[in-house]
Amino acid sequence: MSFLLGQTSSLAIDPFFYTVIAAGAIAGASCGLLGAYIVALRLPFIGVFISHTAMAGTIFAYLLGLNPTVGPVLVSTLAAMSLAGIRPGRSRLDPNVALGILFSLMLGLTFLGIGLTQDSRTEILGLLWGSILFVRGESVVVIGVAALALAAFAIVFNKELKVLLFSRTIASATGVHETFVYALFLGLCGIILAVNLPLVGGLMIFSLITNPAAAAYQICRGHRAVVLASTFLGALSAVGGFIASYYLNLPTGACIVLASALVFALAAACRTLTRRTD
Amino acid sequence: MTGGSLSLSQISVRRSGRAILSIDHLTIPAGAFVGIIGTNGAGKTTLLKTCAGLIAPAEGTVWIDDVDLGRLGPWARCRLRKRIGYIPQSTEYNAELPFTVREVVAMGRTSLKPLLIRLDRQDYAVVDRWIETLGLGGRRDQTFRSLSGGEQQKVLIARAMAQDPEILMLDEPCANLDFNWKHQISEIVERLYRQTNVTVLMVSHETGVLPPACERIVLFREGRIIADGAPDAVLSTEVLRRAYDGAFRVVVAEGRRYTVNAESGGGR
Repeated sequence: MSFLLGQTSSLAIDPFFYTVIAAGAIAGASCGLLGAYIVALRLPFIGVFISHTAMAGTIFAYLLGLNPTVGPVLVSTLAAMSLAGIRPGRSRLDPNVALGILFSLMLGLTFLGIGLTQDSRTEILGLLWGSILFVRGESVVVIGVAALALAAFAIVFNKELKVLLFSRTIASATGVHETFVYALFLGLCGIILAVNLPLVGGLMIFSLITNPAAAAYQICRGHRAVVLASTFLGALSAVGGFIASYYLNLPTGACIVLASALVFALAAACRTLTRRTD
Repeated sequence: MTGGSLSLSQISVRRSGRAILSIDHLTIPAGAFVGIIGTNGAGKTTLLKTCAGLIAPAEGTVWIDDVDLGRLGPWARCRLRKRIGYIPQSTEYNAELPFTVREVVAMGRTSLKPLLIRLDRQDYAVVDRWIETLGLGGRRDQTFRSLSGGEQQKVLIARAMAQDPEILMLDEPCANLDFNWKHQISEIVERLYRQTNVTVLMVSHETGVLPPACERIVLFREGRIIADGAPDAVLSTEVLRRAYDGAFRVVVAEGRRYTVNAESGGGR
């Protein structure tokens, strides 16, 4: 980051980075909220799969001269929604194994796309780690709108989502519209991950989905507490990681990933040290 | 609350081309308490899932109160399933999540409310009533994951009953419980059956957990019905020999039937 900051003599953060902090907070909160559901569904690989689908979509949209935003969002949304067909217990494939296979397929397509790209690969390789430091105001608006849509979904379908997380078998057997809500959730997953991908990158998105949510599940009692804590810890990881990278002059992406891991470690230690019972 | 009826005709459920459940005809009238027993892999859980529409049979028809489950679209099927209270095996729910007891019981009200409509005060009054009925008042705000296996089973029963079901399906509700809890859960199911007249289908490996109210037992082996009738007829040494390839007899104690190895004298 030093090449961007030039000097770090002042303690105050350069106003130039306020947009970055806003983007980080929104992306972290979105991923944290999404993670509260993804972790409970025991599908952490879904983040990697969808983000790589979005990467493959972006690269092929670039190669084919199509819109670089709409294409990946459509592809990753459709890919995510196709997962609604994989049902634990009914399918012979474990959902995580299926996700692993699909992930490797998308990874292959991504690298094929990179190989076929003739000119500047820097922009495309940036998709791996994202380019949050170069975020523009319009991008913040886009991820903000997507985050609001996710929050609205979580509030409106709260009662169905709880049953879905607890048991898809119970949800299905007792007349909860679980397939509809699950497909909708996966679709939103696709959209959230695709719009956040250019900012936080395919690798960082995985840790922002998994770690804050796993931390929240360590220390919270009740679904609402988990969802709120996970959202907050996601934002905290992203903003905290950025601030640490700013003052310590370290790579931003790596700091955000490490901050999210630290959040989980602290939550786990807190649970162990306080011998907290539920 | 009134019970619902179930009927299956010419059912064939297949997995990898192999029939895992074959039933010519099975009718469970409204208000009946039917015990489903059988060997491992006999198709007991498959039967429950087929009745609930979780597994679509390759052939045959399932009727719930004279409505053909297979002919319904997804939304109509959801409406019909509101009448089913389903308690799955422990592998089919996520007991590690920090849901509180009240949250889990409130899940029983979910399908009774349309999409987009939140549970209201009346729903929570029903939820709290069932929490008290099942003796879980002191555990209301505790997490489900912190409870013992027997208490978790009570919560699941409260969740199912909060749904005001017409048919209650229990898949081995006493599995992995100590004998005290087995007895308690079995008594709770019997008490609820007598109080509400809900139709009960209870899958169990052990005949001893089927309460005296269970006046009919269906015995399965390799996906087929071996015997169907009154407990005394189904649990005869001759029938049990055909199902389990061993010599068993039944000992009756306080209206419950315990199978005993006729040679060694050990009971279940």
